[in-house]
Amino acid sequence: MRTILLLAAFLAASAVDSAALAAAPGTKIPRLPSGKPDFSGIWQTTSAADFDLEPHSARKDAQPGPGIVEGDVIPYLPAALERKKKNFDSRLTADPRVKCWTLGTPRGVYYPEPFQILQRDRDLTLVFQFGNSVRTIHTNGTRHPIETDNEFWLGDSRGRWDGDTLVVDVTDFNDETWLDRAGNFHSTKLHVVERWTFLDPDTLEYAATLEDPDVFSRPWKINVILNRHREKNFQLIEDYCYTLDYDQYYPEPTTNAAEPEATDRAAAVRPASP
Amino acid sequence: MKDNHRSRTNALHAVVALLPIVAGTLAPALVSAQTASTRISAGTGIQREKVVIPIAEGKWTGPRTSDGQPDIAGHWSNPIANQNNWTDPQGGVPGDPARPNGPAGKREDRAPSRVSDPPDGQVPFQPWARAKQQEFLAYFHNPVRPEYIEPFARCAPGGVPKSFVWHGYEVRQYPGYIVFLFNSGTRIIHLDGKPHLPASIKLWNADSRGHWEGNTLVVDVTNNNAKARFGRTGEFASENVHITERYVFSPDGKRYNYVATIEDPTVYTRPWTATIPARKYTERDETDGWHYEVYPANHDGNEPIDEAYERICVENNGGFGNVAVTTSNAH
Repeated sequence: MRTILLLAAFLAASAVDSAALAAAPGTKIPRLPSGKPDFSGIWQTTSAADFDLEPHSARKDAQPGPGIVEGDVIPYLPAALERKKKNFDSRLTADPRVKCWTLGTPRGVYYPEPFQILQRDRDLTLVFQFGNSVRTIHTNGTRHPIETDNEFWLGDSRGRWDGDTLVVDVTDFNDETWLDRAGNFHSTKLHVVERWTFLDPDTLEYAATLEDPDVFSRPWKINVILNRHREKNFQLIEDYCYTLDYDQYYPEPTTNAAEPEATDRAAAVRPASP
Repeated sequence: MKDNHRSRTNALHAVVALLPIVAGTLAPALVSAQTASTRISAGTGIQREKVVIPIAEGKWTGPRTSDGQPDIAGHWSNPIANQNNWTDPQGGVPGDPARPNGPAGKREDRAPSRVSDPPDGQVPFQPWARAKQQEFLAYFHNPVRPEYIEPFARCAPGGVPKSFVWHGYEVRQYPGYIVFLFNSGTRIIHLDGKPHLPASIKLWNADSRGHWEGNTLVVDVTNNNAKARFGRTGEFASENVHITERYVFSPDGKRYNYVATIEDPTVYTRPWTATIPARKYTERDETDGWHYEVYPANHDGNEPIDEAYERICVENNGGFGNVAVTTSNAH
């Protein structure tokens, strides 16, 4: 009997690549009163994923990085690859990020600004510092809306537990967001399946499978590590980036209001700040 | 500046911001912008009540969260009016070209000023600040300069305290935090005992540190960037503003009154108090396009579950005025 259980455990562990990395048995991870893993906290990647999901050497606008795509290459359909190249060429102005638009899913997760997870049994609330946008992952057994033309910026997220891994199915996207600063993109048919797993109490593994029949020739995978912010009194500082374009028009009225200098953040290339 | 019409959906903010709805049925433009709006009922307006029901501070006897807080999670909205007019909430925006004669009826037939102290219901502005407020209001319907366009109409967050008079909103509650998901902006209230952010950091939704006193959530609010006007009538504070909020919840958990003491010696002659009531919305309520903007969740259970979709404002970059004259009136 014991042998069978051990075998079952071995098979279960080897069924998923990431299980090799998952928190070692006996490792204490934070849990809700219900016993589910508690991802509450402020997280951020140290990777260069947002500069380019694929392996890349240094560029003026990007630190180098080994990429986070399994197999290194995103499997574009031919026409989509042409569009990706155009996006790349115009990335300094065409990236929705420089217009401070909502980053989307999964980009918000590996964008180099912190995001906070607030968690209840029924849902996880992800507040992204960039844009102060809010994504809800429902974990109350509900399914995607019956209507499928909602076209959300962040998609519609429904989660379930696979042991201590949160598996999230995300659909109903718009096509306004990019996947990174290098022009990797998707259509409204993007479908993302995420796997969130503790490696230790302060480290998460985030894995995702992306498919989009209008853009990619097959599903492909990314994998990135998220680190918990543990600095004393660390907290999100709201970043309503898109308001900065008109910030100059709204000095607080005072008896002798001085015109503040206009800031053109959209034109600036922002360094990574992990 | 962002392009117009960023998205074919979720343009609700821009649409609603420009509708001069005061009462009565929802305008067709709003309804058509909704998806899954089958439960919207006719005849529900923004203005459902005319009085503020007092709620006494005291012990909390209702249900509590697992960490011992009064359980206040859920959907809320103010039943009085939107942010058209801070001191005559149901009086519309003064100077509205669609209503050249101003509001019908006598002042006492409408809801009281949101300024509950001083007794005259007026913000105790210093003379220069009163002049600034009047200037903003005078150009509200004809914003000849960018600064006369309410930043809110360009998707800026409503800020404190305006967010409480703009659409329904959701409260999510956690050990250490209460989170307000407003129709325009998100505000995280820290209950974790950590200090305020450094004073040099200024935010649309300010920095909020709270604690519970019986049935009352007490929140100390600083670090306000003071760019958000309180309403279309242009009332404002400066970056020096210090707001002490008391959210007083009724014993049945169905209502609360927002009572905020607003201090700013650079703008006002004395501290003043704002009072805004709110009532809770649940699955027992009809959805509508303003107070309770939720959709029925897709699930197998018998009990209805309502859920709100993502709230992401779409840039409009238009002044209120140039749309107000082209949109038919709803009253």
